Amino acid sequence: MERRVVITGESAITPIGCTRAEIIRHLTEGISGVKKMKDDELLVEHIHCKVFGTVSDPPTFDFVRRDRKTMGPVAYYACQVAKEALEQSGLSDEFIRSGRLGVAFGSTHGSPTVQRDIYRTFFSDDNTKLHNVGAVDYLKSMVHTTAVNITKMFGIRGRVISSSTACTTSSQSIGFGYEAVKYGLQDAMLCGGADEYDTTTVAVFDNLLACSTDYNDTPHLTPRPFDKQRDGLVVGEGAGAVLLEDLETASQRGARILGEVIGFSCYNNGGDLILPNRDGITLAIEQGLENARIAPDDVDWISAHATATKMGDVTEAQSIAAVYGERPRITGLKSYMGHTMGSCGAIETIIALVQMAEGFIAPTLNLEEVDPRCAMLNHVTELVEAPIEIASIQNFAFGGVNTCLFVKRFSE
Amino acid sequence: MTRDEIEKAIIHIFGNQFEIENPGMDDDLREVHEFDSIDAIELLREIEILLGTQLTREEKKAAMDIRTITHIVDYVTELDRKTERPKDRIMN
Repeated sequence: MERRVVITGESAITPIGCTRAEIIRHLTEGISGVKKMKDDELLVEHIHCKVFGTVSDPPTFDFVRRDRKTMGPVAYYACQVAKEALEQSGLSDEFIRSGRLGVAFGSTHGSPTVQRDIYRTFFSDDNTKLHNVGAVDYLKSMVHTTAVNITKMFGIRGRVISSSTACTTSSQSIGFGYEAVKYGLQDAMLCGGADEYDTTTVAVFDNLLACSTDYNDTPHLTPRPFDKQRDGLVVGEGAGAVLLEDLETASQRGARILGEVIGFSCYNNGGDLILPNRDGITLAIEQGLENARIAPDDVDWISAHATATKMGDVTEAQSIAAVYGERPRITGLKSYMGHTMGSCGAIETIIALVQMAEGFIAPTLNLEEVDPRCAMLNHVTELVEAPIEIASIQNFAFGGVNTCLFVKRFSE
Repeated sequence: MTRDEIEKAIIHIFGNQFEIENPGMDDDLREVHEFDSIDAIELLREIEILLGTQLTREEKKAAMDIRTITHIVDYVTELDRKTERPKDRIMN
């Protein structure tokens, strides 16, 4: 059994806004959400990169204590976008609690903020404080904290998938959720990812010389995907959720359909865990197209992973060119908000839906002079009014994990 | 600590820590106030702070069947009596 899978709800918390209107404003007016890094009194002074994709105006979290007590910051983000996506979908409480809805949601490493507090206690000289590690600290910090806090808040009883594959976390969530609905394992899946403000991740990339450092005094000018003057990635925070549903179920209840997921691929490089791999990325793109049963020329727009690292962008450009040639338009959305890690796949999917609905394609910010090694692509360098029928969202992660999602404008 | 002082302290903890205001002394905390196993563990930590001492595993296990504020006050009063702490330690 193969079923069509449609999207009936979406919500995002991003460095460029937490509402659809704000996100559109930033995309169409070319406004960056990258800011100077906040002092965390731990790592900042040791990190060379001083910028961060920051959620400046987070939503008000109106959660009761019963739900709040097991949440770290990352779960607040996750539960908020889950709540809004469920509300938009219009699913009944009865359906939500029936076991027909599952959750595929993850984060890079749970809540680093809570983990820091635990380790501060562990490494304190005062042993009497050890018993102050609370009963809920693990529930707040564990790697699947986002997924299970969502199940708890809404009484969701279907399967739980909690990917934790860094940059491909939420694209895997959507992809695995898509497969669960497509093959009839669940009638609906709430999918996405979240990551909180965290300098640990920055420190990791900083030590690998992968972070941007040349624009510390002008945060809005970095990252610069595909640009000749790019100097690395910028870590960010955020969350994104989409509600995937079997078309028949959605149609029967008269749900508003925002788009259709038509394909997904997930392939590993099978080797180096850090370096981008052209063969691995190319394989993921090719297999994704095959899974979606479309030709390369059917794809109108690609959300490139494009973190703005020296090697990563070139490798991705080579893979895109090898499979697609020059036809599809390409945008590097991380130029607006940095790399929101575990949430980037979901946020970029939501932006694909927004652009489909609104009829525009956002340019890659800060792409002033295209690196000649990336110049063979159809880069979007200014705001374009153009329809998107099919979009592809590409994400690649540490560990050699490569994903491609394909989303289509809905038609009967 | 007198029993009244312990009762006031427990009621304060429930309001401040668990956002349960004016609970009935004999309310079934689980049924009426959704007080769950996680809350029970958190409450034991608050009791340790109140008494200024660490509870043993046996003392903690003994608390697991408690269902009402009255029972909690009984439990803490008994602990306080057994440990016979000097006054200045009890209230820190």
